[in-house]
Amino acid sequence: MPKFYITAFFALLLMTDQALAHKVVGSGWTDGADIEGEVGFSNGDMAKKGTVVEVFDADDNKIGETTVTEDGLFRFTPTQAVAHTFVANLGAGHVARFTMGVDELPKMAATQTPTPAIAPAFDPTDLQKMIAKAVRQEVQPLRKEIASYKEKNNMQAILGGIGYIFGLTGVVFYIMARRKEKAAV
Amino acid sequence: MHVVDGALSNEVVIAGGVLAAAGIGWGLRKMDMEKIPAAGMLTATFFVASLIHVPIGPSSVHLIMNGLAGLLLGWMAFPALFVGLLLQAIFFGYGGITVLGVNTVAIALPAVVMHYICRNGVKSTQKKVAVLWAAVAGGGAIFTTALVVTLALALTGEEFIPAAKLVVLAHIPVILIEGFLCGSAVALIHRVKPELLRDTPSADGSPVHA
Repeated sequence: MPKFYITAFFALLLMTDQALAHKVVGSGWTDGADIEGEVGFSNGDMAKKGTVVEVFDADDNKIGETTVTEDGLFRFTPTQAVAHTFVANLGAGHVARFTMGVDELPKMAATQTPTPAIAPAFDPTDLQKMIAKAVRQEVQPLRKEIASYKEKNNMQAILGGIGYIFGLTGVVFYIMARRKEKAAV
Repeated sequence: MHVVDGALSNEVVIAGGVLAAAGIGWGLRKMDMEKIPAAGMLTATFFVASLIHVPIGPSSVHLIMNGLAGLLLGWMAFPALFVGLLLQAIFFGYGGITVLGVNTVAIALPAVVMHYICRNGVKSTQKKVAVLWAAVAGGGAIFTTALVVTLALALTGEEFIPAAKLVVLAHIPVILIEGFLCGSAVALIHRVKPELLRDTPSADGSPVHA
């Protein structure tokens, strides 16, 4: 009979196929005059298509919203030179939130100084876009790795936590003992 | 299961904080020396058990072991589980400091409720009855925790019924596992240290079994 219980228990454990990561992550970058960004879970699952991403300015006024597209990215065209905070509610208490400062925003169309063409067949902004895209692709796996690294529960922290708990237990013991002693006197 | 910073409205966060503080205060008043080692062990158990995360749908699920803590500690589960949650928030960023109160209530309140519902059953001298009630406490605590979390989300504006369904469904494996673990733990306690399950002692703190 106990054998059955043990088997059943491990069967249940297998059902749940354990993994770490459940924290939400969000990040953004510029793409031309737009902000492109992604939200999702730190294990690499991106937000579902259609997830609403709300955009707030520094004073928490809503300045717009956008939705996540097929590939887990969203796109927003900033119109004001203020810090943008992106908030996406992924449900069940998971809210992704990140802020892009003014210096991180794409150059506004209006403030962009017209650059004189160096060669007629060559547009420097195209080159910039290509470089930005290439760098982003190169950095993508690194960012995922960093996100999952942040999630890692390292052994030291776990042991440290247990140590804190035992230490606190000792402190409570001490206080209770003093109290008892006083009561006895 | 931990609600994260920023997911709840301020009112809910403040209400959670007040309730948690009241529970912790009451738990500390009810503290007695005999139970301190058990409280320390159960806090450590909770701390470690919650680190095994299982993503299901948009939520995450992990063992909590609050049912067992409730059975053995009663109101002391509040301060004990609060310490566990605090350390998790500091070390791993689970939950968050501002929602600590809500999380404490979500995890410790079901523990206390299960304590009162299942206490008499678990005290039974018949091992089978005791184990069965312990399993009910283990599973029931998770179920109630799921309901409290959804209620907190509902008060913030999410639809209650669909969210509750999702969260409870996601927790069915955990409810089963926790029921099993809690039952096994009580079976073991029954055999090796049955006095742990008995009511503690008189108001002056003198042990019943000496």
